[in-house]
Amino acid sequence: MSKKITNFSKTHKQYVRRLRTTKGLIIFFRIFVLVAFVGMWELLAQTHIIDPFFFSCPSRIVKQLIQMAQAGTLLTHTWVTLYETLLGFAIATVLGYIIAVALWWNEKVRKVFEPYIVVLNSLPKIALGPIIILWVGAGTKAIVLMCILICIVITTMTMMNAFMSVDEGKILLLKSMHANKFQIFRKLIVPNTMPDLVSVLKINVGMSWVGSIMGEYLTSKAGLGYLIVYGGQVFKIDLVMAATVILCILAYLMYFLVSLIEKKYGRK
Amino acid sequence: MENTLEFKNVNYYYQTPKDEIFALNNINFNVEKQAFASLVGPSGCGKTTILSITAGLLKPSSGQILLNGQNKIDSKKIGYMFQRDHLFEWRSVWKNITLGIEIQKPKDKAEKFKLAEELLKKYDLYSFINQKPRSLSGGMRQRVALIRTLTLEPDLLLLDEPFSALDFQTRLSVCDDVYEIIKSEKKTALLVTHDISEAISMSDKIIVLTHRPATVKDELVLNLEGKTPLQKREDKNFSSLFDKIWRELTNEQKNN
Repeated sequence: MSKKITNFSKTHKQYVRRLRTTKGLIIFFRIFVLVAFVGMWELLAQTHIIDPFFFSCPSRIVKQLIQMAQAGTLLTHTWVTLYETLLGFAIATVLGYIIAVALWWNEKVRKVFEPYIVVLNSLPKIALGPIIILWVGAGTKAIVLMCILICIVITTMTMMNAFMSVDEGKILLLKSMHANKFQIFRKLIVPNTMPDLVSVLKINVGMSWVGSIMGEYLTSKAGLGYLIVYGGQVFKIDLVMAATVILCILAYLMYFLVSLIEKKYGRK
Repeated sequence: MENTLEFKNVNYYYQTPKDEIFALNNINFNVEKQAFASLVGPSGCGKTTILSITAGLLKPSSGQILLNGQNKIDSKKIGYMFQRDHLFEWRSVWKNITLGIEIQKPKDKAEKFKLAEELLKKYDLYSFINQKPRSLSGGMRQRVALIRTLTLEPDLLLLDEPFSALDFQTRLSVCDDVYEIIKSEKKTALLVTHDISEAISMSDKIIVLTHRPATVKDELVLNLEGKTPLQKREDKNFSSLFDKIWRELTNEQKNN
């Protein structure tokens, strides 16, 4: 056991100071990059070096957002997309996990389904768009289904591989203690693969947004994806950019929430 | 003296898609109650297979295995200690030690918990019960793994090269610790090792195996002076025993 040192030397204090300075500099440059990008964009648009009709600019985006907020449409569209994304994300993660458990549980079933999962994983899910609309109808159901299809295969594949790569020695230890398969799953497989589940959540955060926006491109009457398509069609680039900014913020918030889970359960 | 473990004409073979492998050929040996026995033999000869068969993880193709004279083995009476400690990093030391109790849910659960606590206190690990395994040294981890096995009060302990992952210095001291714990808890043990000097220093009996299919080539009953394995290494017969086993294993290698 290493003892904690309470009296720090001068060199150690310098080392800590250097670490803090580096951390501060990184945060400063992160903000600087954003401010510089936004500033340059605004400047170039104001001086008409780039055409704001095609490229929009930060001030016009803000104006657009204020207008939408005042009209009450900002919240409606945001909520529609957020709802579809969260629903797709949750169903895909839970269902994908359950399928992975079933495949881990039975080796023969796994061997039968493995090639199909590989094919499904490499298939661009957007190709299934028209069929999905035919099957479940246009609207939220189709969008959520698209979102699920995009996330579920990668969830199943990642979790199944994680279950399979649990140390055989540890399984043998539990078997020598006469653990049954359910006990092996509960006491070893689940806790041992928590970091992999967190990785899946992180992947699914991104994938579920792709799914819901793609779904809205195909069939929707509201939502941020709908705004982007509509804005593009009527050349309202400010609207496209405003919806994209909201998307960036929401995706980041969701990623941030998952990273909080990662701090507790992720790989250390 | 009563035997804890007896192997009678045990054969074991297994199939691969291209071959049928004859692993154990008519194995006969016994381990007396509270004795410390070791299995030594060439690499891949089937030492671990013998342990797996004893623990009930593999079924012998033919022959008999008796535990405390009984044909029907209650494998809960057998504790297994592996090459690596296999401590669960997400569990505290206490939760690791009581893992077997959680799984087996014995009727005398409270007593087993009490025993776990006593063993931890006795072997200087009690102050670490709330810590995670990563904060323990290699030697301490092996002691925790041993206590995890002992908590289930097995009649027979199977040790599958439990020191091989440790550096030499730690290995010597952990050997002493494990030996002391096993002897003071009056357990019967069967050790598999590649290290001849480790086998001599710890065992009351050494069973030398041949190359695959393994048969018992020699059985040596030891009576070295010294209370601990480290002290036993200073016995005047130590090096002659080492030479004898070394020659037997080298001949085995040549014959193969």
